[in-house]
Amino acid sequence: MPNTAEAPTAERHTTEHLDTEEQRAFRLEAREVMAAGLPPRIPGQSANSFEDKELVALDRASQRKLYEGGLGGLGGIMAPKEYGGLGLDKRFEDIFIEEAYPYRLPWHYGNAHNVVIPCLLAHGTEEQKKRLLPRIFSGEDMWCQMLSEPSGGSDLAGVLTRAEKRGDTWYLNGSKVWTSGGDVSDMALCLARTDPTVRKHAGLTMFLVKMRQPGMTINPIKLVRGSTEFCQEFLDDVEVPESDVLGGVNDGWTVAMTQLAAERAGMGRGWAIGLRQAALSQYVELSPQYGEMARELGLARDSYARQLIGEAFVLDAVYDLTGKRVSAGLRNGALPPTVGAVHSLLSARSSVKRTQLLSALAGPAGVASSPDQSDAVSRIGIDRVVTHRIGGGTLETQLNLVAERHLGLPREPGSDRDIPFNQLKHNRSEKLA
Amino acid sequence: MDVALSEDQQMLLDMTRRFVGDRSPIGAVRKQADTGSSFDRAVWKEAAQLGWVALFVPEEHGGIAESSDGVIDAAIVAEELGRVVYSGPFISTCVAAAAIANAGTPAQQALWLPPLANGEALAAWCFAGKSPMAGAEPGGVRAARSGDGFMLDGTACYVEDAAIADILLVTAQSDDGIMQFLVPLDAQGVAIAPLAGLDLGRRIADVRFDGVALTADALLGEPGDAAAQAFERQLQITLALQCAETVGVTDRAFEFTMEWVRDRYAFNRPIGSFQALKHRLADHITQLEGAKAAAAHAARSVQTGAPDAAIAVSVAKSQCGRFATEIIRDCVQLHGGIGLTWEHDIHFYLRRAVSNEALFGSPAAHHERLCRLAGL
Repeated sequence: MPNTAEAPTAERHTTEHLDTEEQRAFRLEAREVMAAGLPPRIPGQSANSFEDKELVALDRASQRKLYEGGLGGLGGIMAPKEYGGLGLDKRFEDIFIEEAYPYRLPWHYGNAHNVVIPCLLAHGTEEQKKRLLPRIFSGEDMWCQMLSEPSGGSDLAGVLTRAEKRGDTWYLNGSKVWTSGGDVSDMALCLARTDPTVRKHAGLTMFLVKMRQPGMTINPIKLVRGSTEFCQEFLDDVEVPESDVLGGVNDGWTVAMTQLAAERAGMGRGWAIGLRQAALSQYVELSPQYGEMARELGLARDSYARQLIGEAFVLDAVYDLTGKRVSAGLRNGALPPTVGAVHSLLSARSSVKRTQLLSALAGPAGVASSPDQSDAVSRIGIDRVVTHRIGGGTLETQLNLVAERHLGLPREPGSDRDIPFNQLKHNRSEKLA
Repeated sequence: MDVALSEDQQMLLDMTRRFVGDRSPIGAVRKQADTGSSFDRAVWKEAAQLGWVALFVPEEHGGIAESSDGVIDAAIVAEELGRVVYSGPFISTCVAAAAIANAGTPAQQALWLPPLANGEALAAWCFAGKSPMAGAEPGGVRAARSGDGFMLDGTACYVEDAAIADILLVTAQSDDGIMQFLVPLDAQGVAIAPLAGLDLGRRIADVRFDGVALTADALLGEPGDAAAQAFERQLQITLALQCAETVGVTDRAFEFTMEWVRDRYAFNRPIGSFQALKHRLADHITQLEGAKAAAAHAARSVQTGAPDAAIAVSVAKSQCGRFATEIIRDCVQLHGGIGLTWEHDIHFYLRRAVSNEALFGSPAAHHERLCRLAGL
């Protein structure tokens, strides 16, 4: 997943020549609205860190400007008109992305665009869709996802957070963790247990939860790099009205499946819409960054360094070519839908391998940096410390997905699927509420 | 193979798979290994009628080059040949035909292209030396002007199919830069020293040139820059086809390994249900998909003469070379004891993969080549 903006390149691809009259009109309108309202794209700027509160505020304002300018806001172009969207097809979204290239899009709405909107459209009631979707497009609501818990993340159906109904209101108690942007969001999708006496997948419900309300305590988590983009929440009798259950009571697992599939699809195609270009160069290009690093370190003629660099070129090219192959194969049906998981796994493996190659290249300069050294070299050491693949599904979960969904191999026999949740074993430190 | 095949390309694939399934299945290479026989010339002649080499030969010399997508189509054939570990001289003959079609005089083309296209004649390409870049650049043979003609000296290493060839395509270094020649097998001073090949379906030899005197009409194309470009083009075609073949080899070995892990039971479960195996297989299919993407892109780039063709073939060679070996080697492990027996076919696949990894430039040689292409 690209996390930072790349520099705009001179030979940017556009498909302007393919526009119909209607598309041409949309393009010109987009061009005008963006020029008037969007901040410029700054190379190297973080796409969605949730840490820079000014950037989050800027994105809220940009989302509002896109909406008011008639472009639907990020995620609104293809959404139906009755829910505040423009009701246009994919071609218009592609035009929007092409035209947005010189600008910073409201990338902090990526979560809404990639995950929340698809979930609301698939499982929301008419009333929910009419009430909540326009607030996303207009920049009023920023959303997060409350899924993982301190007790576990990969075994998502094992969540312990309880929801109990008293009168017309649900009361949520428990703790959620690894929530991207929990402290800046207005709303959350929150998975909680509504019936512990049935098997674990059958007793879950998805709630639409207001983040700023009594009983909700939100604490940022400081990560190894020092950043704080994730939060932990403590829920103490957090209230959710009956009308804010998404999908059916005890049918939350169905919604969670939509949610995870949408998240994986979003990560597979590049999370931040507009950071991905509609079409990159069709040719393989060798990035100058590795050579520059070798020259900086005085290793340009070193045969071992050249092997590492050659391997890094191959790694990048194969990742790029596989992405194109997977997209093309999904479009024309030559590859099965499950191949998306293969691409995600390649992404995880490639990023770890790239760090290994670069740290071997940097040697001691990657662990003890001098002031005149480039960021690229001094960053390697900490990259190596935080290589681990946890977010968006652990590496082990991704391996299972490829093996089971794509290759069709049998699941591990599980002892947890037919037993009531309250009879399952839990972490030694935890007692079921 | 590309994910977007035309109708004609799908037909070519189906036809090739049917043909090798009938006439040269995996059992053919086993039979050769057991009996010490060479590949079946009759099968090669039938294959030639299907247009395998004709893809690179213009219509006026009995080919179909104008109506096909040369390297892309040949890569489809090569991938199918990999699936049965075919042992005929497909790549060497195709490359020689392409070289002669590219730079041959009318007389050279009229003499060699029709028999190469119809399967009557076979060719081998001599150029490699023994440096770390062996197989990825010329190095073994030197040419010098001698009267009106030329003199060749040196040893071309790791030449496929030299012993069965009718004509040698030779790339030599000289004081005037690169030169290419067409040398008949019976020329005075040419000696072939067969090597013991790991791949039991390939015939590899060193070819010695000991003061081989050639007349001026043996020269193929212009010496110098033109010949250097022709060499690069020949290398690109070779690598694109070798990578496609490697993909076929790996794809087929992975396929029957998947059947095995589903059918084989231990501890009351299919062994393919154990995470310790599943996670490895997930990584393998992922790198195999990467190899397919890289090989397909290489064939496309070489065929269209794209600006990244030189890069594309080295990327494909590194990915296909390393991961074919790694994947099939682990597939042997997943088979347990049976995988170590002569009786099981998988060793023919692994031999081909390991051999393809090392020939025409090792992954290390191509990593170095990529650095040079990047201006480093």
